[in-house]
Amino acid sequence: MADAKDSSRTIVVAGGGIAGLSAAVEAAEAGFKVILVEREPFLGGRVARMNKYFPKLCPPQCGLEINFRRIRSNPLIEVMTMSEVEKIEGEAGNFAVSIRVYPRFVNEKCTGCGKCSEAARTLIPNPFDYGLSSVKAAYLPHEFAYPMRYVIAPEVAATEEVKAIEAACEYGAVEPDMASRSVEIKAGAIIWATGWKPFDISAISYYGGGKHRNVVSNVVMERLASANGPTKGVIARPSDARPVKKIAFVQCAGSRDENNLPYCSSVCCLASLKQATYLLDREPEAEVAIFYIDIRALGRQEGFFDKVRQDGRVRLVKGKPGEITENPETGMVTVQVEDQETGKILRDEFDLVVLAAGMEPSTAGEKIPAAGVVYDENGFVVSNGPVPGIIGAGCSRRPADVSSTVQDATAAVLRAIQACRR
Amino acid sequence: MEPKNILLEMKDYIVEMGAETINWCMQCGLCTNLCPWRLVPGQTGEEFNIRYMQRLGQMGIEGFEDENMLFACSTCGMCQNNCPRGVKIIDNVRAMRAGIVGGGMAPSGLRPILGSCHANGNPWSGPRENRTKWQEGLDIPRFGPDTEYFLFVCCHSCYDPRGMKIARSIASLLQKGGVSFGVIGTEESCCGESMRKVGDEELFQKLAGANIELFNGKGVKKIITTSPHCLWSFKNDYAQLGAQWEVVHYTEVLAGLVAEGRIVPAKKSARKVSFHDPCYLGRHSDIYDAPRELLSSIPGMELRELARSRESSLCCAGGGGRIWAEVPMGERFGELRVLDAEASGAQVLATSCPYCVNMLSDACASLGKQDSLEIMELSELLADSL
Repeated sequence: MADAKDSSRTIVVAGGGIAGLSAAVEAAEAGFKVILVEREPFLGGRVARMNKYFPKLCPPQCGLEINFRRIRSNPLIEVMTMSEVEKIEGEAGNFAVSIRVYPRFVNEKCTGCGKCSEAARTLIPNPFDYGLSSVKAAYLPHEFAYPMRYVIAPEVAATEEVKAIEAACEYGAVEPDMASRSVEIKAGAIIWATGWKPFDISAISYYGGGKHRNVVSNVVMERLASANGPTKGVIARPSDARPVKKIAFVQCAGSRDENNLPYCSSVCCLASLKQATYLLDREPEAEVAIFYIDIRALGRQEGFFDKVRQDGRVRLVKGKPGEITENPETGMVTVQVEDQETGKILRDEFDLVVLAAGMEPSTAGEKIPAAGVVYDENGFVVSNGPVPGIIGAGCSRRPADVSSTVQDATAAVLRAIQACRR
Repeated sequence: MEPKNILLEMKDYIVEMGAETINWCMQCGLCTNLCPWRLVPGQTGEEFNIRYMQRLGQMGIEGFEDENMLFACSTCGMCQNNCPRGVKIIDNVRAMRAGIVGGGMAPSGLRPILGSCHANGNPWSGPRENRTKWQEGLDIPRFGPDTEYFLFVCCHSCYDPRGMKIARSIASLLQKGGVSFGVIGTEESCCGESMRKVGDEELFQKLAGANIELFNGKGVKKIITTSPHCLWSFKNDYAQLGAQWEVVHYTEVLAGLVAEGRIVPAKKSARKVSFHDPCYLGRHSDIYDAPRELLSSIPGMELRELARSRESSLCCAGGGGRIWAEVPMGERFGELRVLDAEASGAQVLATSCPYCVNMLSDACASLGKQDSLEIMELSELLADSL
């Protein structure tokens, strides 16, 4: 732990997604001690759950792996998973930070052999797959998880089952009596990078999200297309596992809507164009429809938009759909929309409808546990707020894609260093 | 494509008449697709496009005054409640109609209705003195200085024989519950809600002015309405004109009486009932629970929710002046509602709005389903159970 002497050279980073990871390595490589606090049992957050990034269409694993290597090789970074910042007191240059560490029930002796998982019987919904699949209650969060260490779900921690799990471990890594603990840290600055939540599509009743089986959100689409996802990368209908041939994307599902998220989430247009390529690349007979208010492919993303729209199998229709209905027998979902180019009302059936759900900042619900931090009306952390030394980064500050988030994290590090020097 | 004629004066006039939010519209088209007209076949269903109509309104382009288009909207509020930009679509519709009706070009079907309101203070061509005819045989108190609530009975329930039963059951329930209420009587005028919605702003102002003067003169502070339309108009239109009454719908009052045990539905009923949320009670006034509490207070009654309920309720087609529209069979929203009730396994389709009762009863009859489905006003079900 950082002692009082170097507290002004310590930066706490809350959130171990792509923003927090980037901030942690940048700060450490500038010579600052970093405590990286992540709530989940692994680093990578939402990005780790993606199939590919736009516009380069490369998988996130290589980018994450480069960051993990930078963390491994830098003794200045301490990673705390299953942990949360509970309280922040003090001021820039001299913060006292309380961190709650939840029990993993598995210690650092774990080699990742998986014997514990074989011994477990209980299945829990897999949080990595947004509950689309199940995992044993002793599980590795995902195959590229960092740290590469199993977790035992609290559901079985106090049961008979845990004894069998403990007995199966040859390394003494299972600790059923591990308890939650609190850690106090002195730090000069805090970077708040707790990211975003996908907008809850069931809030838009007319789209039938959460009701119709073959209406899914865009984050679920990433899991359906991922080789390490619940369908092993086969884009299949949740209702009957039949491969998807005809897919629709409904843009602004929640975003730019005063009843839901009044702002543009800025990434959903490119995300849907990208997800269209998931199906187009695998399925020669694919048919893609994208229903939009207007396509927001900003800056150099216009080129990606052009590339996708030139594919003859892609149909872009200007119009915000109304009700989406399900045929209970076939599972087909019908989208009704006015094609504003012709004024015709279209009613088209699809295997799968992907709702381009927007980004909601995590801080909309869970505030930074410090006095005086200011948020905008949507819950984003206001940059240059009145509390120097607590700096929002990435999607806690505004909706952003991965590359802008990485830039924003780097910028946050500079401001954190300045706060430490106060 | 023919060139369009943009009328800047028309554009300004529409905004002046109340379409203050028409330029907030970003033309996404959600309104057109949530519109109940998309659910029925026929010419109006094919032609009426609220997104397009507002586009014409934004630019003052001729064409929106086509009767089929301009007067098709039943002001159900499904589009308005979900509009991503918070556009007050119904105000826009009203203002665009006002541009036409104010110029003396009301659709022919509406002229006798508006004329009756001018002459008799009600749209049903009934003489003023018959306004209290529904009270015959009942001992309904007159509103006086010591009365707590003024009961405002919708014109429909004053003059329509089927509607009168609704007024009678509501008044009897209030009496049984010991509510201090009274009726003013023949001097009352139509609230004018529908008149304003069809665009007759001058008539609305006349009716509202007369009512405000009358009610205030009698010392009215609290009003119970039988219809959600009067409720909405008193709370919104009249409030804009300075009225300051506490206005409640009868279902809210009765739900309170049931909760306090002042009326106790005791007779068992084994009927399966669905509740149709009236647009002006639900989406427009946000009252969803009171009617359901009343239904579930009836012992043994089984509430079967319709597939489209509460915020997603489907309009009966009686609002916005459409109660006076001639719509071919097969194109009536009410018919879909009757089929919804059938699908939910209901024997009774209950609602709490005189217009809805009217529209749903017609639809039930046109589908020939009177033997399997009864359309009832909620107060009637409740009165039967005492």
